[in-house]
Amino acid sequence: MIIGNLRIELEPRLSTPKWLYAAVPVLSLLFAFVVGGVFLALTGHSPIGTFSLLIERGYASTKGITNTLGSATPLICTGLAAAFAFRMNLFNIGEEGQMYLGMIGSAWAGIVLAGHLPSFAAVPMVLLFGALSGALWVLLPAVLRAKLGTSEIVSSLLLNYVALNLVNYFIFGSRGMFRDPTTSFPQGRLIEESARLGSFGTTRTYPTVLIAVALAIGLYWFMKRSNYGYETSVFADSPNTARYAGMSSTKLTLSVLLFSGALAGLAGSMYVVGPAGKVDPGLLQIGLGYAGIVVAALARYNFVAVILTAILFAGLREGGASLQISSNPVPISIAVVLQGSVLLFALGGEVFRRNRLRIRRIQQVGVVS
Amino acid sequence: MNSNVWILTFADAISIATTLILATLGAILTERSGVINLGVEGILLMGAVTAFLVSDGTGNLWLALFLSVLVGVAMSAVHATLTITLRANQIVAGLALVIFGNGLSQFIGKPVEGKTRPVTIEPLKLGPLSDIPVLGPILFGHDMFTYLTWAGALLCSLYLNRTRPGLVLRATGDAPATVDAQGVSVAMIRFVHTILGGALMGLAGGWFMLARGTAWSQAATTNGIGWIALSLVVFAAWRPLRAIAGAVLFGFTLQVPFTLQGQQINILPPEIVQMLPYVATLFVLVMLSTPRARRLLGAPKMLGQPFVRDER
Repeated sequence: MIIGNLRIELEPRLSTPKWLYAAVPVLSLLFAFVVGGVFLALTGHSPIGTFSLLIERGYASTKGITNTLGSATPLICTGLAAAFAFRMNLFNIGEEGQMYLGMIGSAWAGIVLAGHLPSFAAVPMVLLFGALSGALWVLLPAVLRAKLGTSEIVSSLLLNYVALNLVNYFIFGSRGMFRDPTTSFPQGRLIEESARLGSFGTTRTYPTVLIAVALAIGLYWFMKRSNYGYETSVFADSPNTARYAGMSSTKLTLSVLLFSGALAGLAGSMYVVGPAGKVDPGLLQIGLGYAGIVVAALARYNFVAVILTAILFAGLREGGASLQISSNPVPISIAVVLQGSVLLFALGGEVFRRNRLRIRRIQQVGVVS
Repeated sequence: MNSNVWILTFADAISIATTLILATLGAILTERSGVINLGVEGILLMGAVTAFLVSDGTGNLWLALFLSVLVGVAMSAVHATLTITLRANQIVAGLALVIFGNGLSQFIGKPVEGKTRPVTIEPLKLGPLSDIPVLGPILFGHDMFTYLTWAGALLCSLYLNRTRPGLVLRATGDAPATVDAQGVSVAMIRFVHTILGGALMGLAGGWFMLARGTAWSQAATTNGIGWIALSLVVFAAWRPLRAIAGAVLFGFTLQVPFTLQGQQINILPPEIVQMLPYVATLFVLVMLSTPRARRLLGAPKMLGQPFVRDER
């Protein structure tokens, strides 16, 4: 691009300085707060006051940070789900629906199967059923993509709306097994006590947070070290190379999408064994599946970084929720505005990480008249 | 149940189709240039909330729709800057737009949540035409935007297939390097059409709010219509006129759950009937995935691929 006598160009960097890896997300976050601040100011809220309250109630108090860790737990899982698929250029954006199905599947297992089992077996079984249900929900988009090459983007997304109505049906529309039979108030039936986990002390952090973190680290290690991890990264860089090398694109596509669905399903079951204990329409309100995509993108699809971005986003959410309770209540959707802006800025910033901005004066060459 | 109900359902389907056609035309123009903008749902929501807030504040219908269009322009300009100038991943940028639009529309729409629509886009009075039995209400009972949208689809089709800029646009989606070699700026063509597409999507959201929506009810206002429009682009094979037929079909699936509920027909629970438009869209996508159908469709060849000229 040429402005005046300046030539502005993007030049690919040969190597990226270490500090830029941190600078891009940090600056994106700052810019997002500026955007959020503008809208806060426009609606008559003090940006500084709101944000300092948000940070205090989201991270900087014992209650805040433990609440944040609690709601980060399923978010780490949906973040891993998105990262796992996106890094292979498979855009599973149906985490939201897969998570709902995980909630339904694990509640089913928790109600029907868990009664005969001791806790150390019941909890893993319930989690497993959640993961399986999530994988099942992505089966159709995965098969279509692997066998026919149909874009998985819209098909996985459309299933979110089907899953949403399915949960509504189980809780509001029918008197089936997921509904609490003891009351006419529409709410879920609690799963067996043996299939539930208590929280740490009086906090709202559940032991599932350890599973989520271990999963992130394990995945990081596995995809770095295993043959499978190598194959997926070759496939991501160049599907043709992978094919010439004899890797099966069908198998890789199917397995990656199904595992991504399983991780999203696990998010739903962690919600069930932890805070909810039942099929709870509350999960439909918080958009953990969509947020997982942002969390993954901000972590640049690095599994360990997902832990950090998930905690960051959960804090925005928890802090945002607490802002509703004040003399001048701020809508909780400010958290979603911040999330969306962070991602937009991070996407733009990515370019400056990979490229160097060169501004040069154009040499005046003799003008031929 | 009498036949009147189904005549009204058809009429409503054609009416809802207006939003679908506008959004789909926007997406077709964008995608024909080689850019995929998944942010449709976010732009629809922002267009809708803008139309609601502005008409609530000023009572001026035209100002409301104009600002909806501007919001669509602004959001698609963000998408264009990120994906064309900065070469960010188009899929993720589109998703970011959906999340941002969803959050911001809820945030600024909070004060008017649940309030009923302040102004309404009234149907035209077409005199004797509207009194024709059956066909009258189905074809001649709509507001001016519905007819303008049909004309718009025709214009789009002529633009794409019969004009030189349309030819350049199609070439930009299929073979940007050739366009570049002709000395035409690929980035400029893509920018212009992404923004033009965004304007149509913004209008789609604004019209939907003021003509069909009853109240501002957050993300449930549009309820996934943007995603259906994106599927409709495939269904229409990136051709504007086919979008009309597809939009009426999908409009029908969107309207039927309400008709059944209104008539107290409980063959299936309402929650299950609500799945109809999404399941129908999925079904169509599956049908279009067979290798034979795919050959006939002809998607822009460089859809979603950033263009980088090989200098040196």
